[in-house]
Amino acid sequence: MAGWKRYSVGLIGFVCNLYAESYTLGHGVQMNDWMSVGGYFSSELESNRNEDSFTLDDVAVMAYGDINPMLSYLAELEATGFYQKNFTADTESGSQKFHFERMYGDLWLCDAYNVRFGKMLTPVGYWNLEPINVLRDTTSNPLYSTLLFPRFLTGIDINGYVPNTEGLKYNLFGQSTHDLDEEYINIPNTHFYGLSLDKEFSMEASAGGSIGEYIALSTRERTRFVQANAKYDVYQWGVTVEGIVARTDYADNRTDDTISGYAQGIYRFNPQHALVGRYEYYDRRHDDYTDHIGIIGYSYRPIYPVSLKGEYQWHSQSGEDRFLASFSVLF
Amino acid sequence: MKAILLMVLVATMAAADYSVVISKKTAFSALSMQQIRDIYLQKRHSVGDKNAIAVNILGHDEVREIFETKVLGMDRNRLNTYWIKQHFQGVTPPLTQPSFESVKTFIVNVEGAIGYLPSDMVDSQLKVVYEF
Repeated sequence: MAGWKRYSVGLIGFVCNLYAESYTLGHGVQMNDWMSVGGYFSSELESNRNEDSFTLDDVAVMAYGDINPMLSYLAELEATGFYQKNFTADTESGSQKFHFERMYGDLWLCDAYNVRFGKMLTPVGYWNLEPINVLRDTTSNPLYSTLLFPRFLTGIDINGYVPNTEGLKYNLFGQSTHDLDEEYINIPNTHFYGLSLDKEFSMEASAGGSIGEYIALSTRERTRFVQANAKYDVYQWGVTVEGIVARTDYADNRTDDTISGYAQGIYRFNPQHALVGRYEYYDRRHDDYTDHIGIIGYSYRPIYPVSLKGEYQWHSQSGEDRFLASFSVLF
Repeated sequence: MKAILLMVLVATMAAADYSVVISKKTAFSALSMQQIRDIYLQKRHSVGDKNAIAVNILGHDEVREIFETKVLGMDRNRLNTYWIKQHFQGVTPPLTQPSFESVKTFIVNVEGAIGYLPSDMVDSQLKVVYEF
């Protein structure tokens, strides 16, 4: 009987697809019952004290779908630095090699218990889970999101809603193997464990935090981190804050903290035009490297999945100021 | 007589225009607005231990827009942004049906299906879990 019910639901689901919504840019294309496809690209223009350059930065394709009501998958291949032109040196370069950005399955058992296995974005904070240019409001990423924890996880993430709570989600994750594509991760490692909690207070407000530990493959240095994040967004304007304290046992037998974070505000004049400001702080005590970064940017989206952005960065470190602009599209 | 007419008028005005409904056979019997929102935004896929399958009316239907504004609390622009972000996460919007008749048929025949209808289409095969 249960098998017959599943068959009936599948049959009805198939019939439903005859009435699928027409294609809209940014929503992907539903090929059939078990596969949707999409992709994105971004290009970037940078001008700093040393050089002016253009980069066709991300070219990515992705496929995902439900194999059955309990099992789904997502695969994404991406080439970064696809084409680069340095106007100052008058050189061209690029790599058309595609890497595994994500490759995972989801085994859904109930809303409190979903098991994700494979290579995935590390479930820490907000920025790391929406890392692509077209979904961001600035061309640049904050240092917080790129230097202090592995952006990807090749392992298992058990996640879901904590039972008997309203909107409290958890992620318990671990990696004890090499990354699926070690050329394509900011911190290669074979040891990464963590726990994240995120509470959605309303449609507008949420907050959360994470703890974790990893050992960098190249140096064998162990880092433990505590991270926190909060967001308030009423659509016309929004504020996002994230911060992290990472304590590393360095190879020279010293233990030092790195503290980093950012606060970003956005004001949307209308769905197309927005003004963005961000303050970043980065303090690596091991070698006394500190940078305060102020960013002001403008975002124009003729439609949401098409993004044109420009920003200027002021750094307290000399020689780091720069102008960035980008154009990106999500299919 | 005037009093009866007034009562009928008040009752008619008080009745909700639209209802969120499930099949009479479905195990759960009431849903909060938050639960309906989470199911329609594909954040949750069950109510207790019972599966929940959301179904939308196809396209830019006026009732769909009222549902999205009043129950989901999102206008078209915001919802579009939400689904574009979900596309990157590998999550697709709920199933659609071309008419309210087919929405009703789907709900009656699929255990756990949830949808919204004009209240005057609700009959003994359906349970109302929310009104708007």
